[in-house]
Amino acid sequence: MSLTHEAWADALRDGDLLGVACADCGATYGTPFAVCNDCGGRDVETTDLPTEGEVYTETTIQVPPVDFEGPYQVGMVQVGSARVTARLEGDGEAVEIGDRVVLDGVVESGGEPAPVFRTATDGE
Amino acid sequence: MTRASVVGASMTTFGVHETTLTELFAEAALGAFDDAGVGPDDVDALYFGNAMGGQTENDTHLAPKAASQVGLAGVPCQRYEDACATSSNAFKNAVEAVEAGVHDTVLVGGVERCTPETGLGTGEMTRIFASASDRYYEQPTGLTFPGVFALLTKRHMHEHGTTAEQLAHVAVKNHANGQLNPNAHFGKETTVADVLESPVIADPFHLMDCCPFSDGASAVLVTSDDRADSFDDPVDVQGVGHATDIVPLSAKAVPHATQAARDAASQAYEQAGASADEMDFAEVHDCFTGAEVMASEAIGFFEDGEGGPAAEEGRTRIDGDRPINPSGGLKAKGHPIGATGTGQIVELTEQLRGNVGERQVEGAERAVAHNLGGDAATTVVSVMGVRR
Ligand SMILES: [Zn+2]
Repeated sequence: MSLTHEAWADALRDGDLLGVACADCGATYGTPFAVCNDCGGRDVETTDLPTEGEVYTETTIQVPPVDFEGPYQVGMVQVGSARVTARLEGDGEAVEIGDRVVLDGVVESGGEPAPVFRTATDGE
Repeated sequence: MTRASVVGASMTTFGVHETTLTELFAEAALGAFDDAGVGPDDVDALYFGNAMGGQTENDTHLAPKAASQVGLAGVPCQRYEDACATSSNAFKNAVEAVEAGVHDTVLVGGVERCTPETGLGTGEMTRIFASASDRYYEQPTGLTFPGVFALLTKRHMHEHGTTAEQLAHVAVKNHANGQLNPNAHFGKETTVADVLESPVIADPFHLMDCCPFSDGASAVLVTSDDRADSFDDPVDVQGVGHATDIVPLSAKAVPHATQAARDAASQAYEQAGASADEMDFAEVHDCFTGAEVMASEAIGFFEDGEGGPAAEEGRTRIDGDRPINPSGGLKAKGHPIGATGTGQIVELTEQLRGNVGERQVEGAERAVAHNLGGDAATTVVSVMGVRR
């Protein structure tokens, strides 16, 4: 069985970022897929992704959906050869494209976790 | 090559409507019947688009309800849901059905209500819109649809140097065009400074970079090439491309490339035997100003990175060399989700007939519509042309 959402979420709550890697072509994704979208291979293996990465893009949501308190920053983080969508925390300043960030917990909404990445400080 | 023809087209005003979904749809559908000079007996099927009626109004199984309202009870009805590309997917399937001889003449259209007439406020509607993003890998972050396009646009700005001022020029232009469209939700003279001074929704987008929540309906009658000459004013469908891209956004190779749009445009141009350079104007999915810039590159109107400068230079105005969204686009015409795709087809039809007055693109003989759904995951691109 390939990586399930439940296993991905449980790992995230434990501080681990899981993705999947295709044994046939090497494509890596930050979220589970049953079949590789690059080559169609089914040999899709769970892989540990780095918990530190670089901000690929970001925005600050000023008008949130119900059940969310804005403003907050959302972005995509490049972790190794995969990306994940995450909350960004900038220690008082907005995180920008190219900034180094590290995984630092989750936010929960409706029983589902989202990764939180925080600006990396020297020595981390 | 002609795949099918549009022989009737109509839309309601996009804006705020108190009428029910099926009443609203009927206004557009009866307009299309009258435009084509047909009645229900001449129509063989309904291809219907509605994206969110189940969530917004507890109203599902809408296709036969809509058919019943316009005297079509009994014909085969199908309902499409592809987020903002809902009714262009209905249109694609209708074109294929008449081309294949499954039906002779088909009513295609869509309807949606997104304004507070639904009883839902901004936060609730923002949540419903966000249901089109990935349930598990995007929604828990609190990502909204302005946020989705902000993520794409921010990266586009980073890669290509696109500026907030260039984005604002898109809004200024589309609001100016909206003034010339009696069906538009909005339209006014405005300035780049006005856009940049409006409240931020999700940076880089200010309120005036965003399309409104709108109610509305649109409908067209599609018939086969063979039958089209028996109608007064057919406009030909020369190509319809339809492509998807991987969800969530994070799995896309180059998210701001909007690859589905590039793939759909290639298909549509190939079917039409034409290139982007031969299109006299485009209606594109400018849910946000940055989306118009990315679309203008994806459909081949401009090289990558040139969409922003082109908007700033006025090249996309009605009197520019590559007009985009003469209708005012989603930005000013409005964006009643399920009605938007066939709304673009209505604009192409009316423009190619030369019927739109002050917003007419002079001498337009061929045009392209680009309708995007979800987190850049679905795009339908249609090419239409004057019938020879
Ligand atoms: Zn593979």
